[in-house]
Amino acid sequence: MKILVTAKRVEDPESKIKVKPDGSGIVQEGLKYKINPFDEIGVEEGLRLVAKHQGEVVVVSIGGKEVQEQLRHALAMGAHRAVWVNHTGPVDQLGIAALLQKVVEKEQPDLVILGKQSIDDDQNQVGQYLAEFLGWGQATFASKVESMESEQEKNKVPAIVLTADKKSVQVIREVDNGLATVECQLPAVVTTDLRLNQPRYASLPGIMKAKSKPIEELTPAKLSVDVTPAIQVLKMSSPPARKAGIKVADVPALVEKLHNEAKVV
Amino acid sequence: MSTAALPADFLQAITEGFPVDFLTREPGELQEYGRDWTRVYTPAPAAVALPRTTDEVSRLLALCHQHHIAVVPSGGRTGLAGGAVAARGELVLSLQRMTRMGPVDLLGNTVRVQAGAVTEAVHHHCAEHGLTWPVDFASKGSSTVGGNIATNAGGVKVIRYGLTRQWVLGLQVVTAQGEVLELNGALEKNNTGTDLRQLFIGSEGTLGVITEATLKLTQLPGKQDVFLFAVPDVAAVLRLFRDARRQNAFSISAYEFFTDRCMARLGRHRKLRPPFETPSECYVLLEAEAKDAAAVEGWLGSLFERELVTDGVQAQGAAQAAELWALREGISESLSATGLPHKNDISLPVAGLEAFCAELEAIFSARYPGWEICLFGHIGDGNLHVNVMKPDAMDKAEFLAHTKQADPTMFALVQKHGGSISAEHGVGLLKKDYLGYSRAPAELALLRTLKRALDPRGILNPGKVVDA
Ligand SMILES: Cc1cc2nc3c(=O)[nH]c(=O)nc-3n(C[C@H](O)[C@H](O)[C@H](O)COP(=O)(O)OP(=O)(O)OC[C@H]3O[C@@H](n4cnc5c(N)ncnc54)[C@H](O)[C@@H]3O)c2cc1C
Ligand SMILES: Cc1cc2nc3c(=O)[nH]c(=O)nc-3n(C[C@H](O)[C@H](O)[C@H](O)COP(=O)(O)OP(=O)(O)OC[C@H]3O[C@@H](n4cnc5c(N)ncnc54)[C@H](O)[C@@H]3O)c2cc1C
Repeated sequence: MKILVTAKRVEDPESKIKVKPDGSGIVQEGLKYKINPFDEIGVEEGLRLVAKHQGEVVVVSIGGKEVQEQLRHALAMGAHRAVWVNHTGPVDQLGIAALLQKVVEKEQPDLVILGKQSIDDDQNQVGQYLAEFLGWGQATFASKVESMESEQEKNKVPAIVLTADKKSVQVIREVDNGLATVECQLPAVVTTDLRLNQPRYASLPGIMKAKSKPIEELTPAKLSVDVTPAIQVLKMSSPPARKAGIKVADVPALVEKLHNEAKVV
Repeated sequence: MSTAALPADFLQAITEGFPVDFLTREPGELQEYGRDWTRVYTPAPAAVALPRTTDEVSRLLALCHQHHIAVVPSGGRTGLAGGAVAARGELVLSLQRMTRMGPVDLLGNTVRVQAGAVTEAVHHHCAEHGLTWPVDFASKGSSTVGGNIATNAGGVKVIRYGLTRQWVLGLQVVTAQGEVLELNGALEKNNTGTDLRQLFIGSEGTLGVITEATLKLTQLPGKQDVFLFAVPDVAAVLRLFRDARRQNAFSISAYEFFTDRCMARLGRHRKLRPPFETPSECYVLLEAEAKDAAAVEGWLGSLFERELVTDGVQAQGAAQAAELWALREGISESLSATGLPHKNDISLPVAGLEAFCAELEAIFSARYPGWEICLFGHIGDGNLHVNVMKPDAMDKAEFLAHTKQADPTMFALVQKHGGSISAEHGVGLLKKDYLGYSRAPAELALLRTLKRALDPRGILNPGKVVDA
């Protein structure tokens, strides 16, 4: 089977993120970047699926030339080839979904795996738009399957299960009070939740091999997509600073403060 | 073991001259403060004193001197040699309330801190200014500056930065008689005779109590790459080290090794996932700062061609780097959590490691046939942690008796190869009987002379390191 997985470049959550004083965006200097963690989970799931059913994992990323780093990372994990949509400048979730739609039409995968959301913009929209544009079924927030196998074996098995006839896919999603299993016909769009799997490390042989794997370059123009954003970010601001804690002398003083100031007891 | 051990007039003087919460004798606290990370001795201190100022430490020690009361200086109690153990009715002097940190001096790259400041707190304090105190290891969240200095601690960055000794400019020390010494201030250079500060660094609380220190700082390192390699055996660990050391493309900031047995214990205790599909006998963690990225890549590729490694991973991002480090840094804790390790911390001249390790195998099979031995350590510094695990069926006393019998054979081998029986953990109680394997009789005599001169009544950490 052929699986298309998205790999968005996002700020490494370990780096300190500051909003520019004028609220026009974030300070980019000194930031580290990585693949969106949900997308890394998607790559891992794709690799497990093709390990089981044969096939190919193609990764796609949209952005400037720096997103090639994230594509190389996915290739080092084991993805077979990459598609890079070269675009520098503003674009919103609809634009990304429109570009992905064109890539999907070109690649004709059986399955598209996206992250449920990016950890920077946190929109949780692209997967759903894409399914709608393509007219495909969608299973969002794929979570872990229950399995009786050993921890070691369980680790290698995909959580997204192909049905026996390989015509549809079963996905377990976490819902408020338990798990729901949904089935949709292939081709389909699946978005990943955090507990789906634990992505592998990029092995050094994998990193070496990734250097010679092909990255195909496309542009919005080549794909005939107008990415002029419909949504405009007006202002960014930091959450209000937390007030410093205080020390109290003893338990009665604590109780007094909780009672009179915090009014919780 | 009880309050009876402390004379009434001493207690009276404490009540009159110190704050009400200065001394505690609460049984839970006595248990807690009576031991360090080692679990060999039963804690039994008479009381715990918790001073807030150097003046209180000074007056307390003068009083202890007067009343011949034995004192155990105590920091974060993460020590691995029993140095902070109080098992014989001593008074524990904990520096835990003395945690103040002064402003960072950005011109001199120094900071003055009280001895009870936690190592990691110092790191956070300095990191804001792009600086660090490069004393770094797994226990940094609990260990204290005073304990680090008193043990001349090593750690995971020694290969790049050296031992704690290199990063201490000035010390404030209270002597056994209660005198306060200010040694070397904040001076980089001060050749006015014998450097007394050095006497106290590594003295494990036997010569004086460290109350403040002026620490030397350095720039936070640049971007570090973290790798984990799988190699077939200890000889291969050393082969890879020799090769890595010769490279100009990067500078090494850590070269650590551990065996698959450590990994198995980690897996059981912390459920950490092994990074490789197929286990290997040994693993190497390399942290390096690249100077020439292309050359680093070339080197990495050549490792496989030259069969120096069988597998390897490179951390992608800070989270994965932390995950790989957790494998190395979690070992000590996981060994203790899943069993009873008998620990030895030995060092050899780096050039002699290979010959030593070859002979060590023979000792293991003769002395511990079929036992589980977990090896890990700062191999780049010639430093090996040898952990013999208690077989589950054996009782503790028999185990300790067995290891006590076996230790001298290993120490004799260490001596033969010009090594040390305690690389960085100190001597404390645990290694005291074996000091002769690393120090000549004339040296030991000199150590005793020093001890008598500085602590004539033998009140400071008696029974540890050497007897006067
Ligand atoms: C400051 C800033 C500058 C930016 N500059 C650029 C730029 O120059 N060029 C550019 O193309 N984008 C740029 N972007 C990113 C772009 O705005 C977002 O990718 C887009 O709006 C989608 O929003 P989202 O990621 O929050 O969507 P979500 O709906 O939260 O994303 C869900 C999933 O969609 C997929 N996805 C989203 N975006 C991409 C992507 N770009 N490539 C591959 N998969 C993706 C991922 O799988 C993700 O997990 C920038 C973003 C910010 C915050
Ligand atoms: C998980 C783990 C990993 C470790 N890794 C390393 C490592 O990599 N390298 C390494 O070197 N060590 C390591 N250690 C050992 C230990 O953390 C160090 O020896 C540390 O420096 C001890 O600091 P502490 O404050 O806990 O001292 P304590 O254990 O409280 O005391 C240690 C000794 O110093 C004396 N002392 C303490 N404070 C003072 C003071 N203010 N004045 C005078 N004497 C004092 C005590 O009497 C005792 O003899 C590790 C320990 C653990 C538990």
